[in-house]
Amino acid sequence: MSLKFTEEQDMIRESVREFAQSKIAPIALQMEETKEIPRDIVKGMAELGLMTCTADEKYGGPGLDAVSAGVIAEELAKADCTGSTCVYYLVPASWGFLLNKYGTEEAKQEIFPKTVSGEWFLGIATTESDAGSDVGATKTTIKPDSDGFVVNGEKMYISGVREAATHGGGHITIAHQTPERGTRGMTTFYLPLTAEGITPTYINDLGREGISCGGFAIDNVKIPKHYILGEENKGFYILHEGYEYARALISVICASAGLKSLENGINYIKERKSFGKPLAQYQEINFRLAEHYTKLNMLRDLGYKALKTIDLEQEGKVSRFETSNIVAQAKMFCSDWACEAINDVMQWQGAFGYSRECLDQAAWRAVRSFSLAEGTKEVMKMIVARELLGKKQY
Amino acid sequence: MRFIVCVKQVPDTTEVKIDPETNTLIREGVPSILNPFDQFALEEAIKIKQENDEIVAISMGPPQAKKALLKCLALGADKAILLSDKAFSGADTWATSYTLTQCIRKIGVFNIIFCGLQAIDGDTAQVGPEIAAQLGIPQITYVESIEKLEGKKLEAKVQTDDGYKIVEAKLPALITGITPSSFEPTNPPMMNIMKANKKPFSTWTIDDIGGSSDNYGLNGSLTEVIKVYSPPARQQGIVIEEEKSEAAVQKLIELLSKDKVI
Repeated sequence: MSLKFTEEQDMIRESVREFAQSKIAPIALQMEETKEIPRDIVKGMAELGLMTCTADEKYGGPGLDAVSAGVIAEELAKADCTGSTCVYYLVPASWGFLLNKYGTEEAKQEIFPKTVSGEWFLGIATTESDAGSDVGATKTTIKPDSDGFVVNGEKMYISGVREAATHGGGHITIAHQTPERGTRGMTTFYLPLTAEGITPTYINDLGREGISCGGFAIDNVKIPKHYILGEENKGFYILHEGYEYARALISVICASAGLKSLENGINYIKERKSFGKPLAQYQEINFRLAEHYTKLNMLRDLGYKALKTIDLEQEGKVSRFETSNIVAQAKMFCSDWACEAINDVMQWQGAFGYSRECLDQAAWRAVRSFSLAEGTKEVMKMIVARELLGKKQY
Repeated sequence: MRFIVCVKQVPDTTEVKIDPETNTLIREGVPSILNPFDQFALEEAIKIKQENDEIVAISMGPPQAKKALLKCLALGADKAILLSDKAFSGADTWATSYTLTQCIRKIGVFNIIFCGLQAIDGDTAQVGPEIAAQLGIPQITYVESIEKLEGKKLEAKVQTDDGYKIVEAKLPALITGITPSSFEPTNPPMMNIMKANKKPFSTWTIDDIGGSSDNYGLNGSLTEVIKVYSPPARQQGIVIEEEKSEAAVQKLIELLSKDKVI
C-alpha cells in the first residue's frame, strides 16, 4: 500500500499544522500546569472541524475517512508534546465514528452538533476497576424499563470525565443486559455524564495532563432508548470497531511523537559537544538514532496501513478480522518504540532531559499511556496470535 | 458582483536558493504554498462577498499549482481557473500580467480584481498594477481594507508612509492589498477542504484564452533576468568591551584609524 496522500489530505495536514504549531505548541507545557486545554484551543479545534471529525456532514461534521483522521492526529502529536490535545481529538473521532455508524438518527441529531462545535465532549468509558481490556468482565448492568433503560455500576480510568461533566457530553459505554449470555448479552450505549445519578471521581495521571482522567459511579441512571448503539445484546462486537479506530490513530500518534522527539534530539546532538566533539559523532548515539528513526517510520507506515484498512472495511473490501489483525499489529509496539526513542533523546540531553522544562519528558509520559489505553499491548498480541492460530487455540 | 482574485503558488521559505547556472529559483525539495499576500487579498474579497456574489480565483503556473487554487476554494472562492501551458513558461511580470489579463477578458464581466501586494518569491509587486494597465481600469494599491462598496464605486483604506487615506475608485477596478500586521490567515476547516474538490475548477491553456504565442511566456517578456544572487552575508561587528568610556573611545579611534576611516 502506497503512502500517497490525496490533495484533500495534503490540505488537511497544512491547515492543522499551521493551527497546531501556532496555537498549541507554544502552550503545550502550560496545559500540564493548569490541568486543562484552554477553551479557546478547543474552540479553535472545533472551528477547524477536528472535534468528532468522523461525523457526517448532515450532522455538522466533515465526515472524514480514517486516513484523513490520522493526518490530523499526526500533526497534533507533532505540536503537543503533552499529548493532551491528541487524546481530546482521538477519542471523539473514534467514538464519533462508532456513533455515526451505529447510533440512532435521533441520537446523532442530538449529540453531534454539540460535539462538533466543541461544546460537548464525546468519550469512551468501558474500563472498570476489575475489567480493562477484558471487557467481558464488566460488572455494570443495563436493564430495560418502561420508557428506556436503567444503568447501574461504575467506570474507572476514563479520559475526559471532567470535560463532559462540566461542559456537557458523555461517553460511549457498555454493560451487561443479559448477564447469563456473557459477551453475547452486552449492550453498547451513550451515557450522558450530566445525567442524574452520575458521581464523578478524579485520578492524577502520569501524563497528558491537559485532559482529565477519572471515573464515575452510575446509580440508577435512566437513559432513553435512542441512546443504544446497534442492537441490544450485540454491543460487544460493535464496540471493537471503535477501539480499532482509536488504536490505529494511537499508533500514528506514537510514531509522530517519537519522530518529533528524534527531531529535537538531532538538533541537540549536532550542537552539544562532549570530549571535544559533537554527541552526534558518537556511534553509540547515532546508531541508536538510526534504529529509532527506522522503527518509528515502520510504525508510521503500519499505522496508516491500519487506518486505510479501516476505510477499506467500510467499503466492504476487507473483513472485520483483517482489520482487527492489522490494527493490533500497528498498536502492539507503538508505545514501546516511541518510549524507547524518546527515552534516548532525554538521555542525550543529560540533566536537562530529566527536567520539567524538557518537552521530551512530557512526550514520554504521554506516549507511555498508550501501552495501556484502548487495549494493552498484551491484548494486541492475543489478537494477532488468534488470527494466526485460530480461535480453537484458546 | 463578481470578484476575481489573482493568486500564485510560491515556495514555502524565505531562504530561497538560486541555481547559479540558470539564474532561477531552485524549487525542488521546497514545499509550495499559497502566496500569503494573496491569501490576504482573497480573505478581503470573502469579507465583502454578499449572497449572490461570486469569487473566481485564477493563477498561472504548472499543474501542481492546482494545490494553491484548491486552498482558495477551501477558504471560500466559488470557482478556480489554472492557466497552465508550456507557452506560458519563462514569463516575466509583463507576460504574466498579459496572461492573467487574457484570462480575465475571457471570464468577461467582473467588478473588482484583488491582488496581493507581491509574491514572496519574486517581490516585484508589478503584476497587479500591470493587469490594471492592460485592462485600462482604475487601480488602488496598498489597500488595507475596503471601507465601502456601493453601486458602481468602492472606497478603500490605503496605507501611506504617514498613516492612511481613503481612496475612491469607479468600478470595475483593481486593488492590491497590503497585509496588516494584525492579519491572521484563516486555516481552512475540514468541512470546506472536503468540499473544495467539488467546486468548479478548470485548467485553461493558450487555446482557451487566445492571443498570439509571441505575447506569452519568454517570448512575450520585456525583461530578462541576467543574474540572481544573494547579497554577501553581513560580517559580525566588533564589540568594544572596555569598561571606562575614555578607554572605549580610545579603542574606537584606534580601530577607525587602522581601517583609515578617520
